[in-house]
Amino acid sequence: MELEGQDIAYRYPNAAADLFEGLDFRIRGPGFHALFGPSGVGKSTLARLLSGSLAGQRGRLNARGMDRVLYTYNLERLPGWTTLREHFEETASASGRPRLETLLDTFDIRPLADARFPRLSLGQQNRANLVRYLLQEFDLLIMDESLANVDEATRHRILLRIKALFPERCFLYISHNVAEVARFCGDVLVLRGHPKRPPLVVVPGGDQREGAEPDPARLERAMLAIVHAA
Amino acid sequence: MLHRRLTQFFILYAAGVGLLLAFKVALGLSDYVIPGPGEIWRTGQTYGAAYAAAVLNTLGVAVLGHGLSIVLAAAVAVIARLKDWIGGFIRTAAFNIQSYPIVAVAPILFILLGDGLATRLLIAALICYFPLLLSFLGVFSEPVREIEHFYEATGRMTWRLQIKIRAFENLQKLTTVVVGSATLAMVGTIVAEFIAATAGIGYSIRIALYQSDLAKILVALLLIGVGTSLWLVLLEGLGAALQRRMERP
Repeated sequence: MELEGQDIAYRYPNAAADLFEGLDFRIRGPGFHALFGPSGVGKSTLARLLSGSLAGQRGRLNARGMDRVLYTYNLERLPGWTTLREHFEETASASGRPRLETLLDTFDIRPLADARFPRLSLGQQNRANLVRYLLQEFDLLIMDESLANVDEATRHRILLRIKALFPERCFLYISHNVAEVARFCGDVLVLRGHPKRPPLVVVPGGDQREGAEPDPARLERAMLAIVHAA
Repeated sequence: MLHRRLTQFFILYAAGVGLLLAFKVALGLSDYVIPGPGEIWRTGQTYGAAYAAAVLNTLGVAVLGHGLSIVLAAAVAVIARLKDWIGGFIRTAAFNIQSYPIVAVAPILFILLGDGLATRLLIAALICYFPLLLSFLGVFSEPVREIEHFYEATGRMTWRLQIKIRAFENLQKLTTVVVGSATLAMVGTIVAEFIAATAGIGYSIRIALYQSDLAKILVALLLIGVGTSLWLVLLEGLGAALQRRMERP
């Protein structure tokens, strides 16, 4: 599976200039990749273009075996009228339903399953939101700051579990945490602001797997490359 | 809630009556112009029961008209959110119409429909319909993106779910608007009765006015205030109960 962008450009209506232009990239699946870059450079906009929730880009987007693209972001909320479990069971896809119990444990949501979303902390809310997306059918899941407000140890454990539980899927993880994307992600797509050229570069990350220790030298190289590119 | 609202009303009522009595004393006005406390009390004893029945009659029409407005405004707002241009058109039309005093067209309705229940009901409904419609349009046309995104992205969004999300997220606002417009419905009914009806407390006030009997009018105002307060508290209670039910832990 593959999602390829050629000469992608986007300008918001009534904006004086393009947010970005001339983006060339290729996201190969399965795998766990990252989209990195400074604030305001257009990461979320690019993610929404890839998922189809935003239209109007110039250039070409070609998907091969990556038709079901979902985009989730950290400000999403679950409706307040049901418990988490009711919501998960109601919205899970047929193939996702058997994963529910595993995900409840992986995300430490089981003790909260009978609570309602507004009563959760911000970190718990973000974890609950991500669980429901992982219960869906998707080829590519774009996670835009989806683990914000979650403590580092839990975040790392969740990232490793996601990679282990979904080896046949593709993920694009948007984060500002350079150490994290360098350690856990395969390809790191670094979106650069004006006037840097090229506007997007791909840096290989550490791609750490569950049970494996990170390679410090590789990690350092990846971090330096990402920081340099950004 | 009831205690607080009634207390607020009684304080305002007592202040108003107190001001009238102060005028009476300061300007040396006769009992014919502003009756004394004893006269007001005796009038209350004599006409209280009849006026209470008249207030209930008015309240019944106002509640019916208000309910009709809520249903119609909700239905139109739900339809209007289907297309931006429909919503825009209805919003502009409602905004322009609501700026026109509906009571000014009441005489036309009385000429066309007579002075029966239908006219009172129509005026009560019309007077609170447009403020309700504008609020409902605002609520039902405004996406709650943080919740709706998931349903849109996974292809699960239906119009019923969309309305449910938007109503739930704005329940407090909707309750406030419904309670606020209830007062308008009461005002509309009383004004309609005052102009031409043959029943209700507005009609009683008109008779009292022709008799220049301020004591009767003050008794009527007291009962209108109590009746309206009870109704508003009931509506607020319903809204709060609905919210509690939907947000139960």
